[in-house]
Amino acid sequence: MSCELVERDLDAYLDRELDAAASTAVREHVRTCAACRRQFAQRETLSRLVRAAPYYSAPDRLRARVLAQSSQSHSVRRVLTWAAAAVLVLSVGAGMTLWRPASRRGDVIAAEVVNSHVRSLMANHLFDVQSTDLHTVKPWFLGKLDFSPPVVDLATSGFPLVGGRLDYVGGRPVAALVYQRQKHTINVFVSPAGGDPSTDNVVSTVRGFNLLHWIHNGMSFWAVSDLNSAELGEFATALQAS
Amino acid sequence: MRPRLFEETVLPHLDAAFNYARWLTRNDTDAEDVVQDACVRAIRYFSSLRDDDARAWLFTIVRNAWYSRVSRKANVAEGTRLNDGQDEWPDNALDPEERLLQQHTIALVRAALEQLPVDFREVIVLREIEGLSYKEIAEVAGVPVGTVMSRLARARERLQTILKLNAPRETLR
Repeated sequence: MSCELVERDLDAYLDRELDAAASTAVREHVRTCAACRRQFAQRETLSRLVRAAPYYSAPDRLRARVLAQSSQSHSVRRVLTWAAAAVLVLSVGAGMTLWRPASRRGDVIAAEVVNSHVRSLMANHLFDVQSTDLHTVKPWFLGKLDFSPPVVDLATSGFPLVGGRLDYVGGRPVAALVYQRQKHTINVFVSPAGGDPSTDNVVSTVRGFNLLHWIHNGMSFWAVSDLNSAELGEFATALQAS
Repeated sequence: MRPRLFEETVLPHLDAAFNYARWLTRNDTDAEDVVQDACVRAIRYFSSLRDDDARAWLFTIVRNAWYSRVSRKANVAEGTRLNDGQDEWPDNALDPEERLLQQHTIALVRAALEQLPVDFREVIVLREIEGLSYKEIAEVAGVPVGTVMSRLARARERLQTILKLNAPRETLR
């Protein structure tokens, strides 16, 4: 591969938008070409700098105004929505385990996982134990759960552990581990897999949040974030490799 | 699937919407107005939202709200112009690289981003800060993926120049 081609693909490579073959070609070239390597280093420095740019959060008064507008224009629809939701929850609760196919149950869990994620961000209840030290986070779960969740720090892979809390998903208490990637929060919900065999990643998107689900060593993992799916996949790979 | 609520589907992305609008407009008041407009539209058109893309959907509406304000004002003046001009960024030299790594980093990066043409600034924010894919950016900005790619590459070149990250001599051109 020539320098011109690498230069053309530089951004797509760093943005993880190249397919595997093209990525490999770029990587191979860069290993042996000092000029391209310098270009790479500049781009990476730039990327790091840009991510230090200010993040402007919405002012509270704007949030309040939008909420008021929404509830105003939706008051009628909202009653209907809640009624429909209540009926659905009742019917799911009654029948799910008997006759719903497994994937449907997965959908329900996925929705719960996203709800928990959103709640943890909105209610500002991200942590019961806030620490980047896994030796603080892991023991904290002792005596609070009937299993011991695997807790690892992934700071070296760019996903520092920032804390954990108890949460409730799929009708049972689970460990929620909180990781950070720049401004993005990743919640990982861990619970015993209940005898289900190990699985590869299952990817899904719910309401703009990306989800990954896998089963490993008898534990079920759900990772959820507004991080893009490529970086969330990178996170899952790092977690599985640890 | 139970019916969705605006409050739990779209509202969690309000910070992201505001951040995007703030970078488009470069000031708090305008950003607030844009997001307010956008949310009125989002509430009205909520039923048109497909299930899986609330964030990108909200970005698109924010962009449309911003665009209609800009064109209504016909204030396509300084900085808000939509075409990217010809490499005419100010030549006011920023500080050398080592200072970047210290306490002025944020201010310098912010200043560098703010002097980019808005089309360039937008792709940088959506890609680097919000982590959108090329395809999602293309949908939000209403341009082909190829345009997103060339804007990103040019925006990064400019930022590297403004922030003096480029090697002393361009050896590859």
